[in-house]
Amino acid sequence: MTRVGARLLLVLGFACVWPALLQAQAAPPLQIPKECAAPEATEIATSTLPNIATALKSRKKLKILAMGASSASSRGPASGGHFAIVEKFLEATFKGLDVVIVHRGVSGELAGDAAERLKMEVALNNVDLVLWQVGTADALAQVPLDDFREGVGASIRWLKSHKVDVILVGLRYAISMVKDPHYQAIRTAIRDLSKEHHILMVGRYAAEELMEKLRREKGIVASEAETTEAGYVCLAEYLARAIAAGIFVRDGQPAGQPPSKVN
Amino acid sequence: MPRPANPVDFWRGFALISIFINHMPGVVFEALTHRNYSYSDSAELFVFLAGWSLRHVVGPPEDRVPVHRLLFRLGGRAVTIYAAHMTIVMLAIAMLAVASRALDNPLVLEWNNAAAVFSDPINTHIGLVLLSHQLGYFDILPLYVVLMLCAPLVAIIHRLAPSLLLPLSAGIYFATLIFQWTVPTWPAEGQWFFNPLCWQFVFVLGFSLSRERGPGGWVRANLALVRRLALPILILATIGAVVGWTPDPTSVPDPKLLFIAGKTFVTPIRLVQFLALAAVLSATFEFIERAVPAIVTYLSMLGRNSLQVFCVASLLSLAGQIVHFYFRGGLLVDTGLVTFGVAILGLTAWMTEWRERAKGSR
Repeated sequence: MTRVGARLLLVLGFACVWPALLQAQAAPPLQIPKECAAPEATEIATSTLPNIATALKSRKKLKILAMGASSASSRGPASGGHFAIVEKFLEATFKGLDVVIVHRGVSGELAGDAAERLKMEVALNNVDLVLWQVGTADALAQVPLDDFREGVGASIRWLKSHKVDVILVGLRYAISMVKDPHYQAIRTAIRDLSKEHHILMVGRYAAEELMEKLRREKGIVASEAETTEAGYVCLAEYLARAIAAGIFVRDGQPAGQPPSKVN
Repeated sequence: MPRPANPVDFWRGFALISIFINHMPGVVFEALTHRNYSYSDSAELFVFLAGWSLRHVVGPPEDRVPVHRLLFRLGGRAVTIYAAHMTIVMLAIAMLAVASRALDNPLVLEWNNAAAVFSDPINTHIGLVLLSHQLGYFDILPLYVVLMLCAPLVAIIHRLAPSLLLPLSAGIYFATLIFQWTVPTWPAEGQWFFNPLCWQFVFVLGFSLSRERGPGGWVRANLALVRRLALPILILATIGAVVGWTPDPTSVPDPKLLFIAGKTFVTPIRLVQFLALAAVLSATFEFIERAVPAIVTYLSMLGRNSLQVFCVASLLSLAGQIVHFYFRGGLLVDTGLVTFGVAILGLTAWMTEWRERAKGSR
């Protein structure tokens, strides 16, 4: 069994031994698609989602705010787009848990400009967790690195001080951006911010890079739409497992072994 | 002959230039636009003046336009704006596709909420036509279409029961704030960036205050008092905006939207600050005209042809974003972008008026 598979089973295993928090049952066999299961696919700082864990002690509803680039999908509105994967996974993993995702992504919005809207949406929707796809617009708009760090850092601090957990979703892989210094600097900054503030970060760059490499090796030609779709599906699959994993790690002490990386 | 420079056209032109610059995020000159020193921005100014301009269509009280002609004119205007919006959206999508190909960069396809167009084209094209899917920075015209579709109702209520118009509009506005009504987007889940249930109030305020009677008449009769009240509000709000003070949304009482600053709902903080700004700025036009007559003439020309200029500005902003990205921004690139853009906007307005003159001389 690969490290990827072992860690995935570990995460799912946690879900099976969580009766105190929810009426947990054996997790359904939702497997990460093979094409997503790449080494170093998803980088997650060793950290927790403490506020969610606390909130779920008294209720069975998890409200998630999706910010940043809005996700649309060829999976169509009937299936709820990519975040439906997250919702479905969590609800299937934790029996009785009602997951509500509030979509407030504004594609192209800079992180600094999103700050006030983020606060407003958190307050209006009483959310437990923010999924923040951040950085792409700032990288493309050439926002100075320090401004980006400062803007995102301030929002993270505000969220933490208001007992709202946050997961950063990192940049996408694009071959033309591999040697773009600003793009790579923003990518590094997101990772650094997650470490500095001890928050979860789900990166999809490495996964998409590997997918692209495998496609090239196998001579598979994929359209932009197919590549984008595959990337978003992987992102959602990892995100779901990252949230599940994060819930189990409390006060820095896991109810088992914390997954420092979920692959 | 086009009408001479006047405050409404001038400030509309000012709003158009501000929108053009603000829609190129990361451009150096963005820091100079008034949204950095104000809770409100050029969107409020643009919508307010759109409402103000409705007076030209509705006509003065002593020379009432027949209702059927009014409906025809306003309905026709809504159709024109809708057609303009659809045209620039299609061009924008093509621009993103070309840029993605030319730069070999799929990320460009996801820019400004365009991803769904390429990943879910069937549903998204339906959404584009229904205005339930909007590209980022191309979301003011859908609001404008809705406002113009409502304009006949505004004009008829104003004609039949003028004293009811503002309370009715305010009622919808406050009910939306209290009950947090939103207009959903589809197929990408979300909400309209400009909530029309709230922004209609800015539009109706513009229309009501433009009239010689009612609230507009009262403001005209008490303009000095209004400005004296507005000035301290504006000063305080400017200080607040510069230091970055806004109420913590989690700390304010319910209904929260009455107390926080939010553009989607054009919340009272933004609205009051904007009205104070409008009251104070209304005193400055003559001074500006004397100081920089060429700029006033230029911006008024833009304002007179606002729809054409807005459409071209939207496309130029998108082109500017792509150029800014490709050349990695910087003062030189951004100066070139803004200078070129402002010149093209002027050319657009000039050509529009030239065409009108040519039509008239036939």
